[in-house]
Amino acid sequence: MSTITASLGTDRVRWLRPTLTVLVAAAVAVGAPFYFAPFQVFQLTMVLVYAVALSGLNLLTGFGGQISLGHGAFFAAGAYTAAVMLDRYDTSHLATLPAAAAGCFLLGLGFGVPALRLRGLYLALVTLSFAVFLPPLLKRLEPVTGGSMGLTVNKMQPPAWSGLAEDQWMYFVVLAVTAVALLLARNLLRSRVGRALLAVRDNESAAEVMGVRLSLHKTLAFAWSAMFAGVAGCLYTWVIGFVSPDSFSFVLSITLLAGLVVGGLGSLYGPLLGAAFVMYVPSVSQDVSEAAPGVVFGLLIITVMFVAPTGLAGLPGRVLGAVARRPPRTTAALDRMPEAESAPDAEPESQALSGPSETHTPADPAVVDAEPVGAPPRTEKE
Amino acid sequence: MSAVTDLLQQVVEGLGSGAVYASLALALVLIHRFTGIVNFAQGELAMLSTYVAWQLVASGMPYWLALPATLAVSFAGGMLLERIVIRPVQGAPELTVVIVTVGLFIFVNALAGLIWSFTVKDFPQPFPDGGLDVSGVRMDWSTLGIIGVVAVVMGLLYLLFQHTSIGLVMRAVACNPASARLSGIRVGWVLMLGWGLAATVGAVSGVLVAPVLFLEPNMMGGVLIYAFAAATLGGFDSPVGAVVGGLFVGVAETLTGAYVDVIGADLKVGVPLVIILAVLLVRPQGLFGRAAVERA
Amino acid sequence: MSEPTTGSTEAAAGAERDFLKVSDLYAGYGQARVLQGLDFSVARGEVCAILGPNGAGKTTTLRALCGMVRGRGSVTLNGTELLGRSPEQAARLGVAHVPEGRGTFNDLTVEENLRIGAHLRTGPRRRGRTERAAVVADLERIYDYFPKLRQRSRQAAGSLSGGEQQMLAVGRALMLRPSLLLLDEPSLGLAPLVTRELFEIVRAVNEEERTTVVVVEQNAQLALDIAHRAHVLEAGRLVLSGPAGQIREDGQVAEVYLGVSVLSRKAG
Repeated sequence: MSTITASLGTDRVRWLRPTLTVLVAAAVAVGAPFYFAPFQVFQLTMVLVYAVALSGLNLLTGFGGQISLGHGAFFAAGAYTAAVMLDRYDTSHLATLPAAAAGCFLLGLGFGVPALRLRGLYLALVTLSFAVFLPPLLKRLEPVTGGSMGLTVNKMQPPAWSGLAEDQWMYFVVLAVTAVALLLARNLLRSRVGRALLAVRDNESAAEVMGVRLSLHKTLAFAWSAMFAGVAGCLYTWVIGFVSPDSFSFVLSITLLAGLVVGGLGSLYGPLLGAAFVMYVPSVSQDVSEAAPGVVFGLLIITVMFVAPTGLAGLPGRVLGAVARRPPRTTAALDRMPEAESAPDAEPESQALSGPSETHTPADPAVVDAEPVGAPPRTEKE
Repeated sequence: MSAVTDLLQQVVEGLGSGAVYASLALALVLIHRFTGIVNFAQGELAMLSTYVAWQLVASGMPYWLALPATLAVSFAGGMLLERIVIRPVQGAPELTVVIVTVGLFIFVNALAGLIWSFTVKDFPQPFPDGGLDVSGVRMDWSTLGIIGVVAVVMGLLYLLFQHTSIGLVMRAVACNPASARLSGIRVGWVLMLGWGLAATVGAVSGVLVAPVLFLEPNMMGGVLIYAFAAATLGGFDSPVGAVVGGLFVGVAETLTGAYVDVIGADLKVGVPLVIILAVLLVRPQGLFGRAAVERA
Repeated sequence: MSEPTTGSTEAAAGAERDFLKVSDLYAGYGQARVLQGLDFSVARGEVCAILGPNGAGKTTTLRALCGMVRGRGSVTLNGTELLGRSPEQAARLGVAHVPEGRGTFNDLTVEENLRIGAHLRTGPRRRGRTERAAVVADLERIYDYFPKLRQRSRQAAGSLSGGEQQMLAVGRALMLRPSLLLLDEPSLGLAPLVTRELFEIVRAVNEEERTTVVVVEQNAQLALDIAHRAHVLEAGRLVLSGPAGQIREDGQVAEVYLGVSVLSRKAG
């Protein structure tokens, strides 16, 4: 059915809908600060800040298939870069942005080189250790970072010509940076780096055979990803005007990953939805108990992984897909055999080359287990 | 006190904390061998077990009765967890499985806070005060006790794996689950056993460390990082490596804290990060791991 | 599973002729259907070879028999339905599968591998002393068949050569005292001499223990040497069935019919 509409649709129809969507979204985004109260505008601003960090994490995890449990640390690094520049060197706010971005990019390269030569798992270990180590380090570097007390810096002030309140001006500045960041993320995915990443995620060994330089691309993706987190941290300093080591404990890192998973891994809108979760779930459920946000996030993550690995952003697609697939599924019992000539390709003798997870998808878990799918990779020996 | 005595003193204390890291690392390695999963929730599960022990003792049960009860509960809990939370994602991409264990981490941590609050609790010390004095080096009974308990756990695991038929079956499953199934082994049960065993070993680490660190939901967060460093150093597939790695990490941490002024007590937590990075750069498969293993 | 010899095959009952009965078997992976309705029977004590070009569905057939892939239709072993069972259940019913690429436990010693093979007989519920003695006797029996394994009994399986690993895999399967032995491409990656030795042992096992064997092979010549009957599979269907000798005779027919050289190694 979709092919029919697609063939009927003219070019105009094809670009009209996305353009309209973008226009409506832009109108809503621009109108929001005039409609909501200052505190709500502040919350929306923070959603955008987190969205930048999550879109970075999404590059790495959603598209690259690697896990970072330390993006809170890069967030902190960006925030402190901005705060220290503002506090000690009295630079302009805008000057701190490229510094935070470049600093975190380099930091990402530094950690990515050893961690990404191997399986993604080690990246998670390294980044987690880094996230745990950073707060005490920030406390120790007191002469620069203000130690446990943190640093209080000037927030960005609206210029007189704008006629905006502080919260509204902040909102627009962050909105602009977020828009640029999201566009950049999208373009990165369309670049050679992005295509290589997708190839790596979908089938690492095949990608390697095709000559994709795995470790280079994974490391670059991690560096880009760290850069986004750093930019988000920089925005955080602009908006909050205060940084302290305890704001960036490793819980932040885990919360970022949780938000992304719930919002939707590998989707362009996932980071926005996830950022709303990171912002609102704690503030709503904190009223119940200090532990409530964790309970909610923990359960949500596991549930999402069980039922909808594409997260909230993927839900509409999944629902539509399920509806579309239903008719053939109910009748496609074994009677409806494909013709014989299509069969030989499926013979398992040829499966050694392709990834096992794609080729075996029987519904019965017992049968899945029977295949070497779940087998730890270490059992093979030359 | 001479410099040498002082050094030995630090080493003894390092071995004490290293033994705790070793037991949690052992739990991590057990699960990794069986399922190829790195269980990020291992520390939190140990913390939860420790709360169970605390609750039993608080409700009047004698310590030495509460301990086996806790271990039994942990074993059953680990088995259930495998069946309910891990089995559904077994065979899914590694990313999915890791995220599930991270979700479990968050959930268990918050659950403990919800039930027992985030205030710090005193946990009973099973070992007597005082200790031995060996030519100026003081060895507390508690330190010796921790090392002794971990040694016993190691020994029991060795006996289980090398000298019982269930241990042989478990090793077979860890090595090649598909072939194990073809030999009529109920792989699902064995995986549950493996998780139960890991949860029990982890519980030992939690109960051992609780009197020192005081019991609170975030108690095991730091220990987990050291255990990861230990497992990375020893090799994620090697139980022996986990123990050697744990002791090494413990001693390295104590010595660095004591002798490197720049580091001091507050920055010791950087030690596991440095160890992990160094191992990955120099010998990524770890001291006792196999070279072919870790690349994928 | 003791099995006294009951005279000639001709005199055996229908149940003996249809010891393994495959009817209308369809199987595949996900959307891809590989087997397109197979029908064949294997008599008790018979060696049956399944031949055919790469991708014809030979491996899938074996996997359907032992529960590694799901199938539709019917597969009965001595009257018991095998389809819909897991591999461990199939093993309990006496089906021993030696998968392609050996599938030994490389971290375990040779002897441990063999003991795992007898797992079902020594498991917690059947720890009879007699059974354990029988397992020890079986160990000796396997070592008699494969003297090289006896020499290496304390070595890790991973350190064996390819041929030795294949022998170990077969030995482990025999420790189950199977009523049906499934061999998937046993010659894969082995030197010709080693392969010949292995096939001779399989023939000996079949003759001495009356174990029913289904062997999948690309090397048709070798398989036909030990098989009683053979089936040629093409694109998921049987295109040729009959006594091994006849299939060998019909090799040229098959060549014409299939457009591939089923018996290309005949000259060798």
